Amino acid sequence: MKQSVRWSIVLAVVVALAPSPRAIGAADQGAQRPAAPAGGYAPARTPDGQPDIQGFWNPIGTFYNIQDLEFQALYQNFGRSDPARRGKSLIIDPPDGKIPYQPWALEKSNEVLQHHADPTPQYLDSNARCFMQGVPRHLNNREFEIFQPPGYVVVFNMAHHTYRAIPLNGGPHIPEPIKLWMGDSRGRWDGNTLVVDVTNNNDQPWFDVVGSFHSDAMRVAERFVPITADTIEYTSVITDPKVYTRPWTMKLTFQRNKDYGSELYEEACFEGNERTLELMLTHPGR
Amino acid sequence: MTTRLIGIFVSAVAIAALATPAAGQALPRTADGKPDLSGIWQAVNTANWNILAHTAEKDVPAGLGVVEGNEIPYQPPAAAKQKENFANRATADPESKCYLPGVPRITYMPYPFQIFQTPGHIAITYEYVHAVRRIFMAGSHPDDDVEWYMGDSRGHWEGDTLVVDVKNFNDQTWFDRSGNFHSEALHVIERYTPVSANNINYEATIEDPKVFTRPWKMSMPLYRRLDKGMRILENECYAFGLEHTWLKPPQ
Repeated sequence: MKQSVRWSIVLAVVVALAPSPRAIGAADQGAQRPAAPAGGYAPARTPDGQPDIQGFWNPIGTFYNIQDLEFQALYQNFGRSDPARRGKSLIIDPPDGKIPYQPWALEKSNEVLQHHADPTPQYLDSNARCFMQGVPRHLNNREFEIFQPPGYVVVFNMAHHTYRAIPLNGGPHIPEPIKLWMGDSRGRWDGNTLVVDVTNNNDQPWFDVVGSFHSDAMRVAERFVPITADTIEYTSVITDPKVYTRPWTMKLTFQRNKDYGSELYEEACFEGNERTLELMLTHPGR
Repeated sequence: MTTRLIGIFVSAVAIAALATPAAGQALPRTADGKPDLSGIWQAVNTANWNILAHTAEKDVPAGLGVVEGNEIPYQPPAAAKQKENFANRATADPESKCYLPGVPRITYMPYPFQIFQTPGHIAITYEYVHAVRRIFMAGSHPDDDVEWYMGDSRGHWEGDTLVVDVKNFNDQTWFDRSGNFHSEALHVIERYTPVSANNINYEATIEDPKVFTRPWKMSMPLYRRLDKGMRILENECYAFGLEHTWLKPPQ
């Protein structure tokens, strides 16, 4: 008896969440439509009816300089011949692959770029100091895990033990004066696409090592589109009228990490980094 | 006065016991029939200042203590070490450096935490320094030489109680701001027993043969945070005061 009641509830939820033709049509009209529509691949469902994208993932991208992937090859030993890392920029809009900075902001960003390789503290990426990476960068770093308990999508990073809970209940964002390193995420499933609106971001994380930055007015509109069992296409539309002349779009591909195992380890970053940090701060400019 | 306080405390426990629903009644449950602990919780006590009974001081609220029998069975050298810790607590307490605070301390720090529950895995995300614990319902602890601030947690259900076995700690965390401490041999057994939809009884049994003469126990209620729009925010302790040290756009 109880069993059958439960099954009816599960079925009802699945039916309610199944993509209707109208929902897919609406998604297609979005300005930042992913290259491959979600229609081809339908993930299994979690017990509460969410498309199941759980597991370990790795971004294929770069967190070194999101506007210039070759740049990273010069500094780090990522082979240029690796097709996954080939390409000019993670930015697909505007078409030139550049962040549409306002003139003063471009100047600031260039200043960091010039000093990043031998930084005094003010030019040091806050990620290197073990602060949280923010959105979208925590998805463009290293391995991360997606966990889908009822009513939520939760992302866990091993780096800096960062977590981000995305509630799916449609509640309003938190009051505007609250600023968070990881922002305030509100998500919903549009068919098989996870759509997330991120507000309440603070102005401290950068998009990459070389100082691509935003202000605390940034809003991020994300789309996670599972295109195969092992691939998610991810886009985020970044809006920030204090820093940019127009919204811009970054695209990443997440690949399922089948090597990792099933548990993330503790990575207590700040606890081991404190002395380095103190030295840098007490000897600015060295 | 003390007797009266204890009397009030005992009455409160008695009332809570009377109000405890019979098994299967009133408790929210998951599809697999286990109590559903999902949600945002917080301890409301002063154990983070001192897990033992203590009088108020400047910036220290008084408290009845959370340790059974109000006694921690230190071995003599450890008792001396605790006194030294207490004397140096302003700088020696790992909390003063914003480090991950360990288990069980993270549970009774004055910040909320959120439990996410599935049959195979329970995750707890804490507001304080975005600490996170993963409680796996299968598998076993790693080798003893793996040492983590938050330990390694393995859970199972005993009736309506979630029992979590936590090992693989380092010796870098304290139990409170009063210098109560442990070694890397710490072994914590936590018991989360829901007594109503909005109240969990939390118990932690502490074993550490290098520091204590016998196992000892602390217990306290956890309360559901019912605030409108409640969510876990952030307390990035180690970032405070450093914001000026890197480039930011003008306000």
